Amino acid sequence: MVLWIIVGVIALIAIFFIGYFNRFITLENRIDNSLSQIDVQLKKRVDLVPNLMNSVKGYMKHEKSIMTEVTNARKAFMGAKTMEQKFAKGAELQHALKSILALAENYPQLKANENFLHLQQELSAIEDKVAYARQHYNDSILSYNNITKRFPGVIFASIYGKKPKKYFEIPKEERSVPKVEF
Amino acid sequence: MENSIEKGNPKREKIGHLSFHDQIQRNKIKSALMIGVIFIFFIILGYVISLAVDPGYFFIIMIFATIFSLTYVIAGYYNSDKIALASVRAKPASKTEHRMFYHSVEGISIASGLPMPRLYVMESNEINAFASGRNPENAVICITTAAFEKLNKQELEGVVAHEMSHIANYDIRFMTLTAVLVGMISIIAQLFLRSLWFSNMGRGNRDSKGQAILILLGVLFAILAPIVAQIVSLAISRKREYAADATGVKFTRYPPGLANALKKIKKEHVPESEKKQKVAKSMAPLFISDPFKKKITGLFSTHPDIDDRINKLERM
Repeated sequence: MVLWIIVGVIALIAIFFIGYFNRFITLENRIDNSLSQIDVQLKKRVDLVPNLMNSVKGYMKHEKSIMTEVTNARKAFMGAKTMEQKFAKGAELQHALKSILALAENYPQLKANENFLHLQQELSAIEDKVAYARQHYNDSILSYNNITKRFPGVIFASIYGKKPKKYFEIPKEERSVPKVEF
Repeated sequence: MENSIEKGNPKREKIGHLSFHDQIQRNKIKSALMIGVIFIFFIILGYVISLAVDPGYFFIIMIFATIFSLTYVIAGYYNSDKIALASVRAKPASKTEHRMFYHSVEGISIASGLPMPRLYVMESNEINAFASGRNPENAVICITTAAFEKLNKQELEGVVAHEMSHIANYDIRFMTLTAVLVGMISIIAQLFLRSLWFSNMGRGNRDSKGQAILILLGVLFAILAPIVAQIVSLAISRKREYAADATGVKFTRYPPGLANALKKIKKEHVPESEKKQKVAKSMAPLFISDPFKKKITGLFSTHPDIDDRINKLERM
């Protein structure tokens, strides 16, 4: 009888150990996955840049400085190695793209261009998706941090050496909800 | 991350703040309780009936009812998406024509971490949408043509997020489970009422008084049980709608999107006679807003009162 109780308790502890280990792995994988999702969206945005430049080129001949700014931002992004660099350069590129789209307001012919309109919609959709991907990344970190800080997760976290992770900080000016009507 | 919304909406501080995490949690607990109530009811019903007929039949009755309703529902469960889509004659959404729909769903799919569902559009002049499928990998979302034409981007995103929440919360699976239980209870009740004809004739004089009371009790139970089960399952359906509203906001972080969509739905409600397409009654729980009349909201409706939903969203 006593033996069975001991066996039962050991089995229960083992289940807890396995359960928490798998939970940590699942949550960490989710974080990695959401991080790569941000990467995918940033890449998609960069891929649209040459197309945008081509459709804009003919109309905005006198806006040389902004054109080179976008091209340079694109190059800088392509050269980025770490995720942090990519996020920073991605934000710069986004900023440059915003000003080029704002300038486009002054060119009625450009605004009537089918190809340009399509790219404009794609870019704003990607901006939304980048925001959503970031949000999911932070949500994933939240559930990971919750489990590493709450009891009894905190015990297993220290056994497995899992530390709470830092949230993805978003620059202030990007916080506004994008309002783009199609 | 939640700050951005809070700052943009100063009303939040005034009215009681309702965190969506809390609301999801509360809805989950209530739904689990309700499933438990239905199940206990089912056991009591089976027990009372078996007492009335013959205690020896208890297990036979239970097993028969379980097998019968399970096989019936499993077939529906695995084909739920196909049945739903076929019954409203939905067509696959086009990537070019319904680009905004695709963008909205892609965004929410990223925000929720769910796989991309298959997208469909159904012909209707009423703003509505539904989700189906047994799990996130086999999910579909269908919107009406009116929803696509009349909702702006934020509103459509709110509606899509609500439907994605049904998928994320496994509501289709959950509702199928309740349907099984309700179905089982109805079948047992029917079985009992019918079996009375046979069981009563053979042995009328054996302990007739006690037997009569038990039979009377059983009849009462058999009549009331399916009604009660139906009411409880509808209550679950309404709870799930609130839960989906709350989870949807968790995805978009923008309660006014869905709230404005619901306001538009309320304003543009099309009378039954003018509808382009009729929807089967059994499809009602799937939609974002009840496709049938909304005058009476109470025990027998699949959806909560639309004003109440808007109110709750505005308090988030």
